[in-house]
Amino acid sequence: MSMDDVLDPTVIESLRQLTPPGEPDVLTEVLTIFLQEVPPRIERLRTSWADGNIQEVQRAAHSLKGSAGNIGAGALHEISRQIDEKGRTGDLSGMAPLIDALTVEFGKVEVEIRRLMSN
Amino acid sequence: MLPLQVLVADDEPVSRTVVAAMLKKAGYSVIFANDGEEAWKKLDCDDPPALALLDWEMPGLQGPEVVQRIRARGDTSPTYVILLTARGSSADIVQGLKAGANDYVTKPANEDELIARVNVGARVVQLQTALAERVRSLEEALANVRALQTLLPMCAYCKSIRNDQNYWEKVETYFTQHSNVSFTHSYCPHCYERYVRPELEALEGVKAAQDRHRQGR
Repeated sequence: MSMDDVLDPTVIESLRQLTPPGEPDVLTEVLTIFLQEVPPRIERLRTSWADGNIQEVQRAAHSLKGSAGNIGAGALHEISRQIDEKGRTGDLSGMAPLIDALTVEFGKVEVEIRRLMSN
Repeated sequence: MLPLQVLVADDEPVSRTVVAAMLKKAGYSVIFANDGEEAWKKLDCDDPPALALLDWEMPGLQGPEVVQRIRARGDTSPTYVILLTARGSSADIVQGLKAGANDYVTKPANEDELIARVNVGARVVQLQTALAERVRSLEEALANVRALQTLLPMCAYCKSIRNDQNYWEKVETYFTQHSNVSFTHSYCPHCYERYVRPELEALEGVKAAQDRHRQGR
C-alpha cells in the first residue's frame, strides 16, 4: 500500500470479493461492525490510561490492532501495535502522544469508511 | 457430503466477521465463540466441530489453554486446531504447537493462506474419520475371531454347539455365523468304508434281485 492510503485498497477490494452471490455485502458488514466496535474501545483505552490501568490499555490496543489490520488501516494498525507493545513491556515513554495519534488516525479512517460506504 | 463445520473463536468482532466470510466463501459452515470459555463449551461436547480457528489472545481462556483442554479429552477424532495469532516469533509458534495446535496462521489473515491451511486440516479430519471407521469395523471382526477362540460347549454325541444365547446349533450353522467359513459336504475314507460302501452294496443287492426277478418271469 502507499503510505498515503488510510485504508489499503487491496484489502478493501479483497473484502468486497468475499461476498457470496445473493448475500449482503461483506465489506459493508465489516465496516459497519468496525464503526460500532472501535470508538468504545478507543474510549476505554483513554479512560484506562487516565486511571493508570496499563493492562486494560494493552488489551484495548491489542484488539484495536486486530480490527485495524483486518480492514487494511495501516497507520491505525501501527499506532495500536506500538501501544500494545509498550503496554506489554511496561515502557510508558511516549504513550500519551501515541494515544492522541490513535484518536486522530481513527478520525481519518472513519471519514474514509463513510466515503466508501456512501458510494 | 455436508460442509465441514468450523468454530471461529475470537473476541475481536471485525476479525471474526472477516475470517467467517473467508471460510463461508470456501464452502465451510461457521459457528462462533466470543471468547475462550465459550469456545471450550462448544468444543467440549459429544459432537464437536471438525475444525477450530482459535485466537491466541482472548479474555479468560487463551487459545493455547483451550487446545490443551481439547487434547486432554483424548478423542479418537479430535478437532483440528489452527491458532490465529498476531505473534509471529518462532518461540511463540513452538509454544502454540507444543500446547497441541495442529497449525497457526498470523493475523490479519491472508485469505489464500488461511483457506489453504484450513483445507489441509479438512483433509486430515477426513482421513482421521475414515481411519476411525476402519478401526471400528476391524474391532468388530476381531470380536468374532475372539468368539471362535473361546471354549465352545459341544454335544459329545451329535456334535451340536451351544451358542451364547444358550441354543444348540449345528456345527455348520455356528461357524458360518461366527466366521467367514462356509461348508461343502463330502465324506472321509473312513466314513466311506463304514457308511457309504454298505449303502451302495445294499443298493446293488436290491438291483441284482430286481434283475433276477425280471429274468425269472
